[in-house]
Amino acid sequence: MNISCNDRDRIFENGTPDEWAELESHAATCAPCAEELRAWKSLSAAASQLRDYSDSPALWPRIQRSLAEQAERGTHRWNLRRLLPHFSISWQTAAASAFALLLLLSGAWLLGPPRKDPAQSPLLRNQALTDVRRAESAYVQAIDKLAAEAKPQLENPGTALTASYREKLLLLDSAIDDLRAQTGQNPSNAHLRYQLLAMYQEKRRTLEEILEEKR
Amino acid sequence: MGIMGLALTWETRIPPVAQRERRVEPFREQVGAQAPAVDASHPEDFELAAACRSGDLRAYERLYSLHGARMKNLARNILGSSADAEDAVQETFLKVQRGIASFRGQSSFVTWSFRILVNTCYDARRSRLRKKEVASEDNQPETVPRPEPRASVAHPSLRLALERALAKLTRHQRDVFLLYEVEGFRHAEISGMLEITEAASKNTLFQAKKNLRQMLEPPRARDAAGAR
Repeated sequence: MNISCNDRDRIFENGTPDEWAELESHAATCAPCAEELRAWKSLSAAASQLRDYSDSPALWPRIQRSLAEQAERGTHRWNLRRLLPHFSISWQTAAASAFALLLLLSGAWLLGPPRKDPAQSPLLRNQALTDVRRAESAYVQAIDKLAAEAKPQLENPGTALTASYREKLLLLDSAIDDLRAQTGQNPSNAHLRYQLLAMYQEKRRTLEEILEEKR
Repeated sequence: MGIMGLALTWETRIPPVAQRERRVEPFREQVGAQAPAVDASHPEDFELAAACRSGDLRAYERLYSLHGARMKNLARNILGSSADAEDAVQETFLKVQRGIASFRGQSSFVTWSFRILVNTCYDARRSRLRKKEVASEDNQPETVPRPEPRASVAHPSLRLALERALAKLTRHQRDVFLLYEVEGFRHAEISGMLEITEAASKNTLFQAKKNLRQMLEPPRARDAAGAR
């Protein structure tokens, strides 16, 4: 390989190790290239003057505190996010379909014929709420029965799969508790009720899978 | 200040480099000892990302212990102040925590974190500029950043000249120079951080060094070159 002064810039920009070695050899007999090469390397050496890796003892505790605060604020959202990967594709499809149906019904209700102001018929709303609570209570009792059957297996998980089911149930229970607290504050929020229902259904399905594994 | 004021004589001002520190491009490994390389295929990078995603604060501490000093140094070289640099590093960690669920591993986790840092620094610069504009509109006296103490360096005048010359470069040229020459990242990593191609990173570094050389070159040498 023959290196000339014309190759210098190209090598500075994108030279291979061999080309750099050739340039060094060439510079030994070429004063302008030797000067350019020295100046080029000097810039890299000068860059070290901009390195200051001195310790900042107060910085990490400050970052740690703000990370903990942010994590605390986002706990509820984080729980749900962590839960989602456990949902199967069919479950996600079903949830999406239910949500689409809910949107469709809401649209029909909004665009439909005029009706009485709901504020004038609070009994109807209260009645619907009572029905939902009754159905929810019955559903919870049924799930509790399943949980009682699965309890011995969960307390002594024989397999990694059962241990994983137990962790999933803990997460589900945590999400259910959060949602119940929210529905307690806002009992007429249908969206929260649907979310809660989704959590209960997932818990029921998980318990059924545990019991099936036993058989 | 013009270019003349930045002039340095290469022979006298630039310190002699010890053999073990000598950087003969492109043999990057010779300078890699002080800065851990970032490698997406490195299991630690993957584990660190997974641990951060799970919400483990110790993983963030590990990220800080591995790269915090480099993050702060880079931020200080972009923002020019230690206090602003610390704010930028803190904001970066918060953004990493908020965005970790969306991190899909297309680049290494550390590369991704540094990309957030660079963007955070430029957001901070823009916000500082806006504040200055508002202050000058309100006819308030402009606040001049006070020179702050930094760890002692062998050649403070050289550092100052380099900082002034860097400020005259384009944003990309400055970023690539700082990431490559100061922080010791490879072009492949820089391309991930700045979302440019590796070839563009190499070309930008070349242009940056050419411009810096022109700015820092002693006037005598420039005149002689002009006479030729």
